[in-house]
Amino acid sequence: MKRREFLKTSIAASAAVLGSTTLSAGETHQPIDNRKVAKMAFPEKRPMITYSDRPPLLESPRSTFTRGITENDEFFVRWHMPDIPTHIDLDSFKIKINGMVKRELEISVKELKNDFEQVEVTAVVQCGGNSRSAFTPIPGGIQWGSGAMGCAKWKGVRLSDLLERAGLQKGAQWIGFNGAEKAAYYKTPNFVRELELTELDDHVIVAYEMNGEDLPYLNGFPLRLIIPGYYSDSWVKMLNNITVTDKYKSLFFMDKAYRVPDNATESEDPQHLVKKTKPITHMNVKSVIGYPENGMKLYHNSHVVVRGVAFDGGHGIEKVLISADGGKTWEKAELKRHGRYAYTEFRYAYKPTEYGKVTFMAKAVNYLGDEQPFAKDIKWNRGGYKYNGIDEVTVEVI
Amino acid sequence: MKKILLLLVLSVGSLFAQLKGDMEVPYISYEIKMGHGFDTVQANCLMCHSFGYILNQGPQSKEFWNKKIDKMIDEFKAPITKEDHKIIADYLFKHYGNGKLK
Repeated sequence: MKRREFLKTSIAASAAVLGSTTLSAGETHQPIDNRKVAKMAFPEKRPMITYSDRPPLLESPRSTFTRGITENDEFFVRWHMPDIPTHIDLDSFKIKINGMVKRELEISVKELKNDFEQVEVTAVVQCGGNSRSAFTPIPGGIQWGSGAMGCAKWKGVRLSDLLERAGLQKGAQWIGFNGAEKAAYYKTPNFVRELELTELDDHVIVAYEMNGEDLPYLNGFPLRLIIPGYYSDSWVKMLNNITVTDKYKSLFFMDKAYRVPDNATESEDPQHLVKKTKPITHMNVKSVIGYPENGMKLYHNSHVVVRGVAFDGGHGIEKVLISADGGKTWEKAELKRHGRYAYTEFRYAYKPTEYGKVTFMAKAVNYLGDEQPFAKDIKWNRGGYKYNGIDEVTVEVI
Repeated sequence: MKKILLLLVLSVGSLFAQLKGDMEVPYISYEIKMGHGFDTVQANCLMCHSFGYILNQGPQSKEFWNKKIDKMIDEFKAPITKEDHKIIADYLFKHYGNGKLK
């Protein structure tokens, strides 16, 4: 049997049974959980929850959220365009910096590693549509569970150092980032992201390493933009061009996709969509329980340690509260911090003294005092973006 | 027996796929429903994305699917004809619809 045939026959389609007509419009609930991990793996990955092969869309299973650092081979993957280069020659690959600069630059990965100060930042990257399956009616887009996120140590050089080397011309205001992925049709716009110069700080880096290794191909090898605190639509992969401009260019992915209602609650009614929207940028406070998982059985009077991760857009997690009684009472979990942009790990010791079902909830609070709402209190938006409802896991004590 | 052994070896190999040389993204044969319009869907949609991208949008209204096809034409510049637009929308709503027009 040829390899390709094997793949064809061994893969159970990951299409899940979705949605329910009994829920009313504009409601939110717990995201769909425990989708099956596929039987096959993508390059440099172990088998993951697989939504699509082209473009590759892979979700991490819940068990990854017991660790502060997500391993490279289990890190989620989301591309937009079907044509991802299948070969990159590191000797000839160059990142171009052009537009309103004093010196146009072409920098190889080797030069990037040798000629600039090397920096490292531990940061969470999360898809804006992570947990989208929590929304009813179902917004368009992949019906992610909560595994479209991960945290890694990113190593590279500061974007500001690159821009300084190139020298900005007077009037420079916007920076466009383009990766090497291509659409099927010549006329399709590239996946370009633009940032205003004022949005940049020293934490924004062009990274070549993730957790001490080259970036995995599907996570943007050889270079990727890292914008700590921002949703991942801004973290351009396979970055090969940075263009400085004085004017903002209209872009599909910023102007039409990845936007939420521009009002206080960033929400709207499915029957009455609001006209004014804004791009998603900074992440809100969120936490996910990694252990135990839904449906697990725990022994009566045993020692259970509830574990998970919490994060926000960079203010830092002040506390994580755990409830084992449906949200009536809360107790503080023990925290282990890894930096303001990283996952904060939490642990909570629990002894099940009664038989039957127990639901654990985790609620993170950041230093601004922002806290996660209950899943049902999250307000709806058409893109299914920025869901951060209190996570819950139900187990059975036997 | 030979066949079973080979399968075992292959599946072990695919459990921790390593990258050596060129990257090869595996091809997934998603189970998609057959029916009137399938050929048109295959001809127009598969150019840019897998069936997984369709199946994993969840069951949707007729209006949703119509708007998705509009987006493919307007934003992604897919050369989908008016006739095909209708055939694709009918197919998607019939097999991946939620029963609602809007």
